[in-house]
Amino acid sequence: MKISEEELRKITLTAINELGDKASPELVRNIVSSAVDKLGAEAELPQAETSAAPVLDRAILTSFGLNRPGVIAKITALLAESGCDLRDVSQKIMDDFYTLIMIVDLSSSKYQMKELIEKLSKIEAELNVKIFLQHENLFRQMHRI
Amino acid sequence: MNYEFDEILDTIKMTEIEHFDIRTVTLGISLRDCADRNLEVSKQKVYDKIIKYGKNHVKFAEEVEARYGISIANKRISITPISIPFDGLNRYEFIEMAKTLDKAAEDVGVDYLAGFSALVQKGFTRGERELLEAIPFALAETKRICSSVNVGSTKAGINMDAILKVADLIKKTAELTKDQDSIGCAKFVVFTNVPEDNPFVAGAFHGVTEPEVVLNVGISGPGVVLDAIKAAGKVDLQTISEVIKKTIFKITRAGELIGREVAQKHGVPFGIVDVSLAPTPAEGDSIGDILKAMGVEDVGAHGTTAALAMLNDAVKKAGLMASSSVGGLSGAFIPVSEDQGMIDAVRRGNLSIEKLEAMTAVCSVGLDMIAVPGDTPASTLAGIIADESAIGLINDKTTAVRVIPAYGKKVGDVVDYGGLLGLAPVMSVREISSANFVNRGGRIPAPTRSLTN
Repeated sequence: MKISEEELRKITLTAINELGDKASPELVRNIVSSAVDKLGAEAELPQAETSAAPVLDRAILTSFGLNRPGVIAKITALLAESGCDLRDVSQKIMDDFYTLIMIVDLSSSKYQMKELIEKLSKIEAELNVKIFLQHENLFRQMHRI
Repeated sequence: MNYEFDEILDTIKMTEIEHFDIRTVTLGISLRDCADRNLEVSKQKVYDKIIKYGKNHVKFAEEVEARYGISIANKRISITPISIPFDGLNRYEFIEMAKTLDKAAEDVGVDYLAGFSALVQKGFTRGERELLEAIPFALAETKRICSSVNVGSTKAGINMDAILKVADLIKKTAELTKDQDSIGCAKFVVFTNVPEDNPFVAGAFHGVTEPEVVLNVGISGPGVVLDAIKAAGKVDLQTISEVIKKTIFKITRAGELIGREVAQKHGVPFGIVDVSLAPTPAEGDSIGDILKAMGVEDVGAHGTTAALAMLNDAVKKAGLMASSSVGGLSGAFIPVSEDQGMIDAVRRGNLSIEKLEAMTAVCSVGLDMIAVPGDTPASTLAGIIADESAIGLINDKTTAVRVIPAYGKKVGDVVDYGGLLGLAPVMSVREISSANFVNRGGRIPAPTRSLTN
């Protein structure tokens, strides 16, 4: 049995009302905890400062230019080194040109986004291609309502 | 993949090729608690408060820039109209205060600080008279301070006495900064119906109804709209309007994201996003070019006003749909010196000050960055300002005048500031006199809101 947040709020309010002046945050918390335990609920009490959804820290890497061996290898090697997780890759090759789009999860990256961009710009200069790394929120904001 | 290939390329194209940038993130700071009977204490309070809230402004903006790959062209600060907290100062003390503000702006690392301003649409206080005397010297003796005066509103009418004073002030400023092509005038705006949350310099200030600190963002992107219209090809006007709206929708959403993020880093409330097409002298970043892409042969051709009206309206509609926090000026700016398409039209003799005036009835601001001969009499400048104010008054819209009577220059010369302020060919003005009308002084009464034919 799952207890919704709404039900949890009702239980808490009832407890507070019954306790009257004696209500303190710890006391209410204990009472609600035991009430939930009795109900055999799987619900966990929300912690004071937890945010509802995990914060997504994903970026979109776009690269294009003249196709040559080792472009993708260079980029992915850097991402691997930094500990980024590749969530999706899509690539198109037209004649001599390529376009590469990757969705990269930065949450486990050891580099800050700024450092990653600096490192990518070295690859850019070395291979004479274009590489952009932009946070996913930008694309969501512009293309999804 | 969550996003279509084309959507991702669309964003990259806007940010990398079409000059879509956030034109300004402006931190508004209230100075209302900084007044003290001792000038030195007041100055210290002002300096400390600007440093306190502004010290990380540039750093935070740069962090957000890197995260989204969108450039933020300017980081600025606006303050409470200076005459409100410091109505007790005299003209010399106001100049001192301007220097303190300039120093604070320099130490924070912003290029402009705006709000050395007064709101005098219905009359002057003693302090406001003193401030108006101080403004030319403040503009000449500082680098980063911008000033504005609101001389009219639909509710109050037009204060002609204020217009006369302001016209003199502009002439004086031009003279004091004659060594730099009268650049002081580029930092001074005369408004009617001024908005209190405009993030765009030189007319920005932190309105008296605003919170303690607030972050407003001004977006831009004429290049993006220009390319979208060109790509649409030969289609009818409704379709063009749709194209503009779709484009503006996307850039407004991006602008709001950036603004909210910078505000969050500061830990201050996010105010508004000002959805304005603001040109720069860069190639392709021009409102003039958009009007030409819509079909007029050059800016100034008959039909230009209609094209601009449609553009301005489409920008506002898309902005309002994309964000619930639209404010400021929102629309299309038509500054002459900052827009290569407009500069070219003036040079070719296709765009006159009279046509520009008509265009300001439907654009989002007014006569902006217009150079006129240095020997233009103050009464003629007052006439230009009064005309522009009347357009704002009757149409219940913001209008502004930023005019440069370029000291020692005549029609055909140019004033060249470089950078964002650009280059303005000196335009001719009517040589017949407005003196007897403007010198009557007094106030043009507030207009009726019915029988609006």
